[in-house]
Amino acid sequence: MSLAEFLSGLNHMLGTGLPMVIFSVLSAVIIILLFAMPVGGIATYVERKIAADFQERIGPNRVGPLGLLQFLADGVKMFLKEDTISKNADRFIYNFAPSLVMAGSLGAFAAIPFSAYVIGADLNIGIFYAMALGSFVSLGVLLGAWSSDNKWSLLGGMRGAAQIVSYEIPLGLTVLSVVTISGTMSMHELVSQQAWPSVHGGGHFWNIVHNPFMFINFFIYFIAALAECNRTPFDLPEAESELVSGFNTEFSGMRFGLYALAEFADVILFACIASAIFLGGWQLPFFDLRNLDIGLTVGDVSLNPLIQTVAMMGVFLAKVAVLIFVVMWLRWTLPRLRVDQLMNLCWKYLIPISFFNLIGAAIWTWVFKGQGMLELLGKMMGVL
Amino acid sequence: MALVDLFVALCFLLGIGGAFFTAFHPNIMYAAISLIMTLVAIAGLYGALGADFLAAAQLIIYVGGILIVILFAVMMSHDIYKDRFMAGAKKYILPASASFVIFAGLAALVGKMDWAGNTVPDFEPTARAMGWALVGPYAVPFQYVVIVLLLGLVGAVVIARPSIKHEDDEGNQ
Repeated sequence: MSLAEFLSGLNHMLGTGLPMVIFSVLSAVIIILLFAMPVGGIATYVERKIAADFQERIGPNRVGPLGLLQFLADGVKMFLKEDTISKNADRFIYNFAPSLVMAGSLGAFAAIPFSAYVIGADLNIGIFYAMALGSFVSLGVLLGAWSSDNKWSLLGGMRGAAQIVSYEIPLGLTVLSVVTISGTMSMHELVSQQAWPSVHGGGHFWNIVHNPFMFINFFIYFIAALAECNRTPFDLPEAESELVSGFNTEFSGMRFGLYALAEFADVILFACIASAIFLGGWQLPFFDLRNLDIGLTVGDVSLNPLIQTVAMMGVFLAKVAVLIFVVMWLRWTLPRLRVDQLMNLCWKYLIPISFFNLIGAAIWTWVFKGQGMLELLGKMMGVL
Repeated sequence: MALVDLFVALCFLLGIGGAFFTAFHPNIMYAAISLIMTLVAIAGLYGALGADFLAAAQLIIYVGGILIVILFAVMMSHDIYKDRFMAGAKKYILPASASFVIFAGLAALVGKMDWAGNTVPDFEPTARAMGWALVGPYAVPFQYVVIVLLLGLVGAVVIARPSIKHEDDEGNQ
């Protein structure tokens, strides 16, 4: 699907009357708000609980059962806080920058395949689109930092932009190798190809075990994604102990909230992409969830599509949750890198390795006609 | 196709508006960020014409890369609020004549085009076709561009590298 197709579809929908239009717009907004806001909020709660566990504390436990409502209290506090703007700030850019970051993170969710049937827009350049929208995040960080007229902020913003631009290269190369072995950029196609080899239709199973190069590429992707989201050990743009709070030092109230939410949305987004392109998305080993049939019906209507969707989303979100847990685990385990170490890691290690892996994956695809290790093994043992 | 037309018109307006601000805004910072408008609008035009890959590439390369570099340069420049950056040196004639030549060339091209009956063709995915074109008929030009870019990279490294000073026996530079 392209933008032109999307627009003509929209045009067609406009012809069906105003209520339909209002319904569609509202549902898109509500889905985004219902997904991103609570997930971002719950992520802050989970993060605090996990941090507490790692540091042998209890963590939030006062608001609601087990402190579960803490994120609501945080949200209310953020909304009610005075929105201060420093005197010399460049007001227009200052007001506009946080929304750029938010737009970049939320817009990319349109291309995430939560199940075979739940995907915002199955663009034929899905993965490329998701990465393209990421450009707005670095732009928003840089502009917000500059406009707040604060040296800490500016330093943080410069670090953030330099870091994101650098780590986009290994990130892009690993994604490129996925595209090379799959021959498509559509997220739905990418996930469909990762079915278990022996199910009907067959696939080459998760891309992470497609070939040895892809196995290394997954870890490179994960490291680069950590840096893209400014998470520890790459949180130099925030660096509490050096830069107060980095690029968002001057922001308060909901403007700060947008930056904080966008950071979590970014983590979730990269975990979703990693799960979709490397870990098979909603695919399980040995079994194809698209063939799940438990025989429940309401009247004549089979409930199978519904059950399948729920199962697929469960599998997909479970993988995402594991990845997010690892991100938080790393945050409370590793110390922050220095700037020179950060750049060394990217330019001297990750980029050469990912170039090597890209060529390796291309050669593998050419030699074995696109088959993965599991397919080859199955054919060798005569099971396939 | 009414909505597509509206979208294209909006992109034109945004693009031209952004370009106008970029050229004439007295504050160099705003001139730089007006480019966002133009670049995004051009990506929108590509998208509306069915060149989806080009649209996303436009965002990645221009918004995510080149614009960031321009902003870096602008932020590092001295006292950008103090003076109107155009006030010091008003150079209108050379840029205007250069733009006029480019405009005349483009206008001549546009005039040659047979517009009647040229509508937006049915959409087909462009990424695969572009990939094949780059390794097939356009392989040599593509490699030529690759070498030019590589030379640019090497040149940048050579310019940016601090000159190597030889250490004497005591370790002083």
